Amino acid sequence: MSAGYIDELHEAFHSDLVYRAEEIPLECSPRPKEMEQTLHGVMKLNGLVIRSLEEIAGRGANAVTYRAGKKFGHEVAQYFQKREDVEGALHELSDLLRGQYSFEVWKPEDKETFIIEENGETFIYLVFHDCIVRQTLRRNGLDQGGPLCQTLFGYVVGAIEEITGRKAKLEIVHTGPNACLKKLVLK
Amino acid sequence: MDIRVDKDACVGCGLCVKDCPMHVYELQDNVSVPVRPNNCMGCLSCHEICPAQALEHRGIYPARRHYIDIKVCEMLRKVI
Repeated sequence: MSAGYIDELHEAFHSDLVYRAEEIPLECSPRPKEMEQTLHGVMKLNGLVIRSLEEIAGRGANAVTYRAGKKFGHEVAQYFQKREDVEGALHELSDLLRGQYSFEVWKPEDKETFIIEENGETFIYLVFHDCIVRQTLRRNGLDQGGPLCQTLFGYVVGAIEEITGRKAKLEIVHTGPNACLKKLVLK
Repeated sequence: MDIRVDKDACVGCGLCVKDCPMHVYELQDNVSVPVRPNNCMGCLSCHEICPAQALEHRGIYPARRHYIDIKVCEMLRKVI
C-alpha cells in the first residue's frame, strides 16, 4: 500500500470541525438524498438477516421477529397518550408510524361500519400503503408475509395493546406490490 | 376506484379473479370484468399477475418505492 494512498485516506477522513459532546444535531446529516446508498445497504442487510434466520430457525423465525416487533411497539407507544377507543388508538398509531408506514381503515362495500363483527370476533380492516418492510422485501426479492412482516405485526399489536390496554392480533389477508390488507382482531 | 380492462388484450386466464381477495373481478364471456370496483383496496396484485397487462386503475394511491435504486434507473435511462 503506497504512502500516497494512505495520505489520501487520512485526508478524506480529516476535517477542522470541532465536535462537542453536548451538541445535538438539529438535522439529519448527510441529507437524505445522499443517504440512499446507506438505505439500500440497510435494506440489503435486513433482507439477508431475515433470509438466514428463516433458513436456520424455519417457522420459529416468525415467532422471533413477531416478539421483537411487539417489544418495540410496547416500548415506543408507552410515551403516547392512553386511549380506550380504537379509533383514537389508530390515530395515535398513525402518528407513531409516520414516515415508515402509512395505513387507512378500510371496509368492503357490503359492510356498514369499519368495526366489523363476524363469526364471534370483532375486527377492523387496515390497508397498509407505504411500508418499509415491503420495500425491503422487494429490494431483496423475498416473499411478502414472512418473518419481516411479522415484525410489523408485532409492532402494531404491541402499540395498540399499549395505547388501549386491550389484547389485539393482526392477520394478513392479502399482500400486494402497492398495498397490503390486514385484519386487526380486537379481544 | 375506476378499473378498466382492455378487452382486446385480456386473454381470459382468470388469474385476477382467483388472486383478488375482495372478488372484484368476474370472468364474463372469457373476459375479466371488474364487477365490484368499490371493493378494490389498490394492492395492484392483479397488475403484477396479469400476463397481458390488460388492467388499468385510476384514482389510486401509489405507495412509495424506495427499493428502486437510482443508479439502476440512471443505467436504464441510458439504455432505453
